[in-house]
Amino acid sequence: MSLPPPPLPAAADPATEEPVAPVVPGAPVVKQTERPHPLTPFIRGWLVFVAIVLGWSRELIPDGSDDGFEAGDLARVLPYLGGLVLLAALVGFVSWYFTRFVIDDDELRLETGAVFKSSKKVLFERLQSVDIIQPLAARMFGLAELRIEVGAGDSTLRLRYLGRARAARLREYLLARAHGRRDRLDDASLALPASAFTDLSAADVPLITVSPQRLVLGFLASTEWLVTLGFLVVALVVSSVYGVVAVALPGLIPLVIGAVSVVGRRVVSMYNFTLSESPRGLRVTRGLTNLTSQSVPVDRIQGVKTSQPLLWRPFGWYRVDVDIVGYAGGDSENNGSSATSVLLPVATAAELAMAVDRVLPGFALGGIELHAVPRRARWVRWYDFWTLRYGWNERALVTEHGWLTHVRDVVPHAKTQSVRIEQGPLQRRLRLADVHCDTPRGPVDVVAHQLDTAVARELALSQLDRARAARAADRERATSGPDRSADDGLLAAFGTDRSQLLGSGGESEVFALPDPERVLRLYRAQPAEALAVATQLQALYRSWAGVPLAVEVPSTHEVGQRAGRAHAVDRRFSGRSFSGWLATAAPDERRQALLSFLDAVATLPALPSPVPGFARLVGPDALRPYDSLVELLDAMLAGPVQRSREVLERDVPDVARVWQQLHADLAGRQVAPVLVHGDVCPPNAYLSQGPDGPVVTGIGDFSPHTMHADPLLDLTGAVAFLELETYPGAAEDAAWLTSVVLARFGASPVAGGDLARWIGVYRRFYGFYFSDTAAVEPATYAWCVRQLRA
Amino acid sequence: MDDLFAPPAYTWQRLSPRYRSLRRLTTLLVAPLLFTVPALLVGLLTGLWWISAVLWGLAAVIVVVRFGLVERTWRAWGYVEREDDLYITHGVLYRSLVAVPYGRMQLVEVGSGPLERAFGLATVTMKTASPETNATIPGLPPEEAARLRDRLTELGEAHASGL
Repeated sequence: MSLPPPPLPAAADPATEEPVAPVVPGAPVVKQTERPHPLTPFIRGWLVFVAIVLGWSRELIPDGSDDGFEAGDLARVLPYLGGLVLLAALVGFVSWYFTRFVIDDDELRLETGAVFKSSKKVLFERLQSVDIIQPLAARMFGLAELRIEVGAGDSTLRLRYLGRARAARLREYLLARAHGRRDRLDDASLALPASAFTDLSAADVPLITVSPQRLVLGFLASTEWLVTLGFLVVALVVSSVYGVVAVALPGLIPLVIGAVSVVGRRVVSMYNFTLSESPRGLRVTRGLTNLTSQSVPVDRIQGVKTSQPLLWRPFGWYRVDVDIVGYAGGDSENNGSSATSVLLPVATAAELAMAVDRVLPGFALGGIELHAVPRRARWVRWYDFWTLRYGWNERALVTEHGWLTHVRDVVPHAKTQSVRIEQGPLQRRLRLADVHCDTPRGPVDVVAHQLDTAVARELALSQLDRARAARAADRERATSGPDRSADDGLLAAFGTDRSQLLGSGGESEVFALPDPERVLRLYRAQPAEALAVATQLQALYRSWAGVPLAVEVPSTHEVGQRAGRAHAVDRRFSGRSFSGWLATAAPDERRQALLSFLDAVATLPALPSPVPGFARLVGPDALRPYDSLVELLDAMLAGPVQRSREVLERDVPDVARVWQQLHADLAGRQVAPVLVHGDVCPPNAYLSQGPDGPVVTGIGDFSPHTMHADPLLDLTGAVAFLELETYPGAAEDAAWLTSVVLARFGASPVAGGDLARWIGVYRRFYGFYFSDTAAVEPATYAWCVRQLRA
Repeated sequence: MDDLFAPPAYTWQRLSPRYRSLRRLTTLLVAPLLFTVPALLVGLLTGLWWISAVLWGLAAVIVVVRFGLVERTWRAWGYVEREDDLYITHGVLYRSLVAVPYGRMQLVEVGSGPLERAFGLATVTMKTASPETNATIPGLPPEEAARLRDRLTELGEAHASGL
């Protein structure tokens, strides 16, 4: 029996304690637990101090009564104040001392309490969301609170406070586990440095940012603020006209506090609002003083509400809220530090469409025909009968109402809880009825008001059928993935199992075999299609068998099909994944290895091609000759761009111009074709320890990206794909490697006179070529968008 | 008129007649009890017994009106177990029809207060993730309530789907 690996290298966090090893062999393993950051009691004491000062300052405002504090009294209360703060700090210290938590590969457990001990253990699958909250005081010390929502809002774990980097890392890990991925905590891909000001990490792509000007202007024009302000002004005017301001002050103060809290809720806590796409889903970061970073679990959204105050109409602005199970339970929007249902505080029509499309993908809400209600509804809803609308398509039900604030509610049919028809006595005389579509607690409230009775009945009864159909369709989507149990049988037949997984990519998974020279590759695609690819690769590798090359290239021993999956038995590369090594290597070692990676890539053109002209070498239309480079690359791009057209038009402002420019550039390129890997990135390279340090000794994973074309494609890939590595400094390494390439190959005949320009051209080519990854690899897609926006 | 609230191609299951008796009893008890306390207080403290008389008169009117409505209220209740969902209707002035898919039920409760027990009645309540779902069937014989609970739980499991 041995200890589980420590969650992190001990140096990473001062609060990490030495592991307690079991003394008696065979005794139960004592897990390594840790305490929150030692500054925690200090910060909690400080928060109490601030609360007291704020409370007292309210008393110090002269309010017309003479029992208020005089400034001179302050000296008397100061000792008490100090005592209270000390007490708070002491309580904070005790609470900190007895708080311990474990987050490792097996469990998430939190233990608290000095007298009444409590231990909470959470199943990773039950995690709803993991948010990071940084109150100003904690933020100044680089600390953050990790707030973990479990189940349907019935329980919240709060880890106060952790180092910011540690909190970010734990969040990434927990979210990965919540999504059913068995990442390990020491996995380097989790190390995403976050910015102290926005909490956006390197891998996050901001989708929508709300500018402070728009936020403030939108706030000033919002109905909520105008009503609050109106009350305040009327109260002030009335009381000053009657000369009773001093007497009315105690009544006015709550109004002022109300107004201030509206400002706090709508401006301060929404400041710098950013909706971004992170590798683990949609994320909201916001706040001027308290910084909150909150994940939005898209699959748990129960409904979407769009509202537009009257005065926002000229600006074309909207506010978007979502119903998320569990978020409304302890709704305390007002303290500005907890989860809110706000998806966008102020958004333009284009941003609204983009966000709604992101949270309800494929719902085609724009195509829904909205129906008005009968005119006789004016007798019941005289104040807004002309604004009532309802409509639906096969995915969602939509209702609208209101003119002071126009509200549009959308509920996906699959999220319908129950349906009600309600009718009051007046409605009964007018043959009208309301149809309610019940959703979990939250801002969304879908009610089709004042429908004709026949329509109401039809809508309500058919809504249940639509809900049933939509749920069945959702289940279909959820279960259509490959069958895992069949895989296990297949792996067993080869004498291996899932724990032997060496790596997995978009096309295949690779498992170690008992034979140390070989690996098993399982293709993800349809067996017929994957079998064709594997066979073509086998032939290609065979044609390279006798070529003397400084680096290892793959070879395939066997290709077959079993249990509905195509597989291949490949040669096992010596060395380890270059990508995994980069994440842990020292910077100077890294650069040495990157040079050898560049050397390895530069040897690939020596590999022979089965055809003389421009062609793809693997895939459905392999070996088909193209007359020119631009024709080949155009054919390569056709598929991906067709799939990604919609998202690209959304995310790249002038994508048509970029596309034409790329074609014009490629048409002007004169080059003799050579063998091109097409996807030379660190995950596809292998590294061994040579006598003079680490050396890249193998390039694997040739695929349908492989072609006979311009050698600059692989040179560009070698530097550009390095940016997709997640270790800190990857971007600097990529820039450095680019300068090496420019210096080494700038004068070579293949450089075409201006190497930097051609690298730019091929960056844009790859930007289009991998742009259909938005749904599966958001980080890759974000990289693509950056290439195309450049 | 009742087309709006009729179940499609099914007939309503009605509540037990004993529920009607229970409602009559509560109608007779609740309003007089509620009004007697303030009436006595006013009369004893201020001596203005005419106010007490007005209050008692009001209570009598309420009892008469509600007593007349008991029959209609009782008849307005109905539920039907369909293949995939449960329909419940109730209300005379404010009418309501609620349809709950079995797969959405998170909890089925059977409750019976002391008065209900005296009349041999029980109430079945169904909960979904939505607090607005108002699916309660009062006035069922206990064996019917138990049967309904077991059947709904069973159907709920068979149709269950995540949120």
